[in-house]
Amino acid sequence: MRIAILGAGPGGYVAAIRAAQLGAEVTIVEDKEVGGTCLNEGCIPTKTLIASAELLHRARNAKDFGLELNGTIQPDIKNIIQRKDKVVSTQVKGIRGLFKSWGIRCIEGRGTIETPKKLRITIKNGSIEYVTADRIIIATGSRPANIPAFPFDGKNILSSTDALNIDTIPSSILIIGAGVIGCEFAFIFREFGSDVTMVEMLPHAVSTEDEEISVILERELKKRKIKLLTNVRVEDVDIKDGSVSVRLSDGKSIEAEKMLVSIGRAVNSDNIGLENIGVKIGRRGEILVNEYMQTNIEGVYAIGDVVGGLMLAHLASREGIIAAENALGGNSKVNYDVIPSAIFTSPEIASVGLRERDAIQKGIRVKTGRFQFRTLGKAHAMAEISGMIKLIAEEVTDRLIGAHIIGPHASDLIHEAALAIENGLKSKDIARTIHAHPTLSEGLMEAAEEIHGQAIHVPRR
Amino acid sequence: MNPEDIRYHREHTWARLSGNRITIGITDYAQESLGDIVYIDAIEPDTDVEAGSEITQIESTKATSPVISPVSGTVVEFNEELTDSPEIINEDPYGKGWIAVIEVEDDSEFNDLMDVTEYERYLEEEVKLR
Repeated sequence: MRIAILGAGPGGYVAAIRAAQLGAEVTIVEDKEVGGTCLNEGCIPTKTLIASAELLHRARNAKDFGLELNGTIQPDIKNIIQRKDKVVSTQVKGIRGLFKSWGIRCIEGRGTIETPKKLRITIKNGSIEYVTADRIIIATGSRPANIPAFPFDGKNILSSTDALNIDTIPSSILIIGAGVIGCEFAFIFREFGSDVTMVEMLPHAVSTEDEEISVILERELKKRKIKLLTNVRVEDVDIKDGSVSVRLSDGKSIEAEKMLVSIGRAVNSDNIGLENIGVKIGRRGEILVNEYMQTNIEGVYAIGDVVGGLMLAHLASREGIIAAENALGGNSKVNYDVIPSAIFTSPEIASVGLRERDAIQKGIRVKTGRFQFRTLGKAHAMAEISGMIKLIAEEVTDRLIGAHIIGPHASDLIHEAALAIENGLKSKDIARTIHAHPTLSEGLMEAAEEIHGQAIHVPRR
Repeated sequence: MNPEDIRYHREHTWARLSGNRITIGITDYAQESLGDIVYIDAIEPDTDVEAGSEITQIESTKATSPVISPVSGTVVEFNEELTDSPEIINEDPYGKGWIAVIEVEDDSEFNDLMDVTEYERYLEEEVKLR
């Protein structure tokens, strides 16, 4: 069986490896760099910048830990970006190495679909190559969405991709959109020394999260002196003398050296030949698929950001695995109810399952348990006491249905809850599992106990 | 010692009257119970507040707690010193650790608050037994 995959991001490259593991002859086509947005312009590069920003923050507060650092501590953005590039290139090599070990052919060029069994590839040197396959998996991903009237110029109006490759730290930056990307960059730029203002049209920052989590994050933004304006839209943008002036819907104007637009991502479904074979797309251009990741055209699958929905690297990877298995005769589906997600703010945010408002909307009666990190000895030892864990269980069955964490290492802690939800465990199952002391994980045990009014370190209510 | 020239609210805030302005803060008992204060949310001027409702939140190493306004009115000033040094509240809750100044229409709510004797009895008889 020959499988051709369009796009080598976290969806496509994972699909390629799984298909090869199952014995297929795999060709993958990538017109930029393997690893896709996640590795080259998203998850990994932002995390390397965050690592620099967090070390900077700690160094600046070294005194609190009883350390005396002499001399000035300041970010060197060129070296920070260089480090980021090095981390990325190491990971890119890693994926290429995996391709080689599984005998996957990777073609660098731009592929379009000619027929359900044939891709046309414009190689980087301009030559054309055709690849025939029994099955095609489309994994072309997404790109930063811009405000059509004020498109990215890479100088004053930046996309998240541009922001990862700056050569100077702006004295001030205006961030449009206080979602995941906007908030992560807000903490990065603030620590590097920029004056940061975020503009959000919704009532809260990270509005995809449980509202209690948003409220706590908003306080952390205040602590870092990051300004957040909510319920406002951008009406007009004026660029002059190398600075940006923005007029807002509430009549106010804001000036900044740079503007970062992080209002979401647009799917890459154009110019890949979907029309040649009649693949159905939705209103925003997303490729329509069923739960087996099949498009309406037999033998053609689509996965990851290009199918819309939650744009998460790990979801794309899982969809890639499912598509590869199904393309090779399998019959599996993705469980969309249990998808953990993480936001790398300070502190981190992570969640899985239902938010309280989703449960209410679905008419599910719930019990909730909350636990503050500041109650844990470990959090104090680490000097990271902000944040909380909120667990949501179904009232009648006690089955865990949602977990929301804001606090140190939230992105690592969330998986205990994900495992519990995926396997239908009860909050009592978490509560009676011994958790090692002193750890942040104790917080999950206490939050689970708190659902039953039995958290040891919470005063009587 | 709790000062005698101010009034007290059962949610452990205090009020000092001067003309039509009332300065508020949290009591010594409150700061002691909270432990080391690490952050207080700034209050925007012109915010309208109701007696008995939350005016801001205080974060200590132990807990995040609402600050309950002892009177109704409009906030005219927030103690900006607290933004960078919230620990002043622990050090001097009735002095430099004041939180906000509220403009009130009349002093009737102020007069209804407990005086120092009543507040100390309240602490002894109700609060500390809990």
